[in-house]
Amino acid sequence: MRSFFYNLGYFVKETFRMLRMNLLSNLFSLVGTGLILFLFGLVITGGTIGNRIVMLLSEEAQISAYFTDLTDMEKAEDLVSRIKELEGVRDAFYINATQAYGRMEKVLGEEAGILELFENNPFEAFIEIRIHMEAMDTVIEKVNALEGIDYVRDNIEVLEQMRGITQGLKILGYFIFLAVSITTLIILSHLIRQGIYHNREQIHTMKLLGAPNAFIGFPFVTVGLLLTLTGGLIASGLLVFFIDGAYGEMNGLLPFLPLPSKNELTSGIILWIPTVSAFLGISGSLFGLSSVKKVSG
Amino acid sequence: MIEANKVSLRYADNTLALNEVDVKINPGELVFITGPSGSGKTSLLKLLMGMEYPTAGTLKVLGQPMKKGRSGKISRIRRKIGPVFQEFKLIEGRTALENVYIGMRFLGMSPRKMKEYATTALDRVGLAHKKLSPVEKLSWGEAQRVAIARAVARKPHLILADEPTGNLDHDNAVKILELLKSFRSDQTAVIITTHATHLIEDEKDATFLYVNKGSVSIERRGKE
Ligand SMILES: Nc1ncnc2c1ncn2[C@@H]1O[C@H](COP(=O)(O)OP(=O)(O)OP(=O)(O)O)[C@@H](O)[C@H]1O
Ligand SMILES: [Mg+2]
Repeated sequence: MRSFFYNLGYFVKETFRMLRMNLLSNLFSLVGTGLILFLFGLVITGGTIGNRIVMLLSEEAQISAYFTDLTDMEKAEDLVSRIKELEGVRDAFYINATQAYGRMEKVLGEEAGILELFENNPFEAFIEIRIHMEAMDTVIEKVNALEGIDYVRDNIEVLEQMRGITQGLKILGYFIFLAVSITTLIILSHLIRQGIYHNREQIHTMKLLGAPNAFIGFPFVTVGLLLTLTGGLIASGLLVFFIDGAYGEMNGLLPFLPLPSKNELTSGIILWIPTVSAFLGISGSLFGLSSVKKVSG
Repeated sequence: MIEANKVSLRYADNTLALNEVDVKINPGELVFITGPSGSGKTSLLKLLMGMEYPTAGTLKVLGQPMKKGRSGKISRIRRKIGPVFQEFKLIEGRTALENVYIGMRFLGMSPRKMKEYATTALDRVGLAHKKLSPVEKLSWGEAQRVAIARAVARKPHLILADEPTGNLDHDNAVKILELLKSFRSDQTAVIITTHATHLIEDEKDATFLYVNKGSVSIERRGKE
């Protein structure tokens, strides 16, 4: 332990010497791990967004109830207040045909022009009912049973679909994580083995002088750690840049999507990608280090 | 500090390099190992450093049995030995000073002590002025002295020099032997293999191991 602190300067020098010695393959490994980690980050980001949307959608679960008779305004108001009384309902609003038109206009954004193709407003008035997710089935049943309600539309399908996609992303994420880990570990341990091979005479001599394997191997571990960590930082930088750009695009395109905040996403990336890469860097190096023992001495 | 009991060494190709060697070396002894080429001198040094293990008999170095499969313990013994290899084994691309340091870095010495010991050692071998030269730029004789400095700077209990007079003319061979002998002390034994028997035949206070076809006979001269 004492030797470790006394030799910090030496370890730093050795690390950079080894980085320089194989500059080209080190650079390629750096770019390689950086890109792989970038892919990994993309999947994580997708998964996070999906998760968030599912969460928000289930929180904001809402159903729409349509009337049998559209003309009776008083009856409609009465229905709204009765629905508000139901258990599992958080709130209910009357949305008239003009408001319904306005909403769709907003959703469509630039594409709203197609609405002008209709001579009359194609949307009908309805009651928007915000409910608790768990109570969805019973609420739908009860609202359906109300006199004056023709049918109820729910967004449960959208929700299920989103959930499916998120689940898929999660599984894809596990696979990519596995691929990232295996690839990084192999790149690294190969790199370290190569370094050990290039330095075999020096290692042999140090062994003959009684240097412990940990002392001989330490600079190799720092090389591995440095390479993956830098790769991780590059990947994080790219991801943050990418997310920033994507958010700029999406905000104009899909204004109604309940995306997680950009900061939440990027801080997650900045925390996790470097942590994962450091972990992979150390394990990969230790994996490759086993060949220090094989250098004769 | 060294105890060999019926130690034999048979290489993988079945060459019997050492045959039932019985030797005891005490702390602070000066030992010359001589014998014809291929008689087993280097093999004997290899056993002392744990580079080979006895295939029969028992060997203890600095109190530790030299056995296969205890690499941690072997490393610990090696840290107490100052080896001067026949081909030096200096690390290229580093300065003389850095080469001397490389033998000391894992001994738990403070940087100040390391610097002091290394500078003193380079001074003793007459290379203080070359300490910042890369070793591959040094002459053969200078490189040899860096190797000696690396071996002695760590204050070993045992200095092992394999054929240090090999490539030297008479005068320089004498100088190198004198230099190596000067590191002998109560705590430090010096073991030297050499072909140059004429240079050591007048030694008054030394132990001689005559190696012949793997067999070792011992002669002690001087104060016991
Ligand atoms: N690694 C090895 N494998 C097989 N045989 C070996 C090995 N090393 C040495 N030998 C053989 O063992 C015998 C003793 O060799 P060793 O190197 O100990 O001799 P030496 O006395 O040091 O000779 P020299 O004076 O030429 O240096 C020789 O016959 C040699 O060929
Ligand atoms: Mg020899």
